[in-house]
Amino acid sequence: MDKFSLYVGQFLPFHEHFAPKGHRACQGCGVALAVRHVYKALEGLCKNIDAASWQIPWKHSVLAGADKAATIEPALLSMEKKQGMLYICFDNECVSGKIDKDALIKRQPAVALANDFTYIATACPSHPFDLIEKVQRAWNTSGNSYIHILCPCPIGWEFAYENTVRIGRMAVETKLFPLYEIAGGCYHITVEEPQPRPIADYIKKQKRFSHWKASQVEALQNELNDAYNQLKEKAVIAK
Amino acid sequence: MADKTFKQEKVGCYLLETNKAQPFEPGKKPELKPEWDKDLCVRCALCYIYCPDAAISRQEDGYFSADADLCKGCGICHRECWFGAISMVKEG
Repeated sequence: MDKFSLYVGQFLPFHEHFAPKGHRACQGCGVALAVRHVYKALEGLCKNIDAASWQIPWKHSVLAGADKAATIEPALLSMEKKQGMLYICFDNECVSGKIDKDALIKRQPAVALANDFTYIATACPSHPFDLIEKVQRAWNTSGNSYIHILCPCPIGWEFAYENTVRIGRMAVETKLFPLYEIAGGCYHITVEEPQPRPIADYIKKQKRFSHWKASQVEALQNELNDAYNQLKEKAVIAK
Repeated sequence: MADKTFKQEKVGCYLLETNKAQPFEPGKKPELKPEWDKDLCVRCALCYIYCPDAAISRQEDGYFSADADLCKGCGICHRECWFGAISMVKEG
């Protein structure tokens, strides 16, 4: 199957539902890319509203301070009252002005798990088929589901426009943002990297980390390894 | 559009240059524009998947091309093409 993995894009629907007449996002916007992939996943699954430009029923809200795991909790709790809801967080890490390592390692999926969400997943538009499968699986679960999507932002993170997908892939390769899913309390890592890259590669590419010192990078690397080992232990138990 | 102008003469908010507003056309003049080399292209559709502006569409012969009105010239397709079939060309 590896031989044909390059051509899997041929099987996607080629009809464009997302912004058929263009949108006003920046060049190389990661959020626009992620929204487009979600559209690809939901095509044919829900009723289309042809009058609206987005053509899919949606509700949009900006969570102030969504980088912190604690502030996302009330939003999730309010969402929880509605049964069978798909909650997608498009995270571009641009809400909080100061970048520290707590904002980089995501705790929101664990918060969602504590709030009785039945299906929780992390995704990144650099792995589009993984993202599409997860959204479809979340749509088909009966309970509430939460998907956390990391969207690289060329303006906020300060890298070249053309590197949007590459930076997202690097976040997965360095295990800063591991792609996993939690279905009914069981962890499953969907994209495993046997040889992870050092986090310094990811830090160097972006100018928003230009004030970081070497000690900070090392501390982040250590915390990252701990977080990933914890995740791996949970995944092993689930097996 | 040309005959509609906006002028403000009160003290405080001067518009020094008027008649500068233009209708919005996304990607009207991107600096760079992708071009496909059909000898190298294997029609894998990766450029189509990674385009955030939904500008790339499939032609009848299976190859891909970008809509000049929607393309913003970000260059993701050029970066992500495995075979180097896409080059960013300056629009002259």
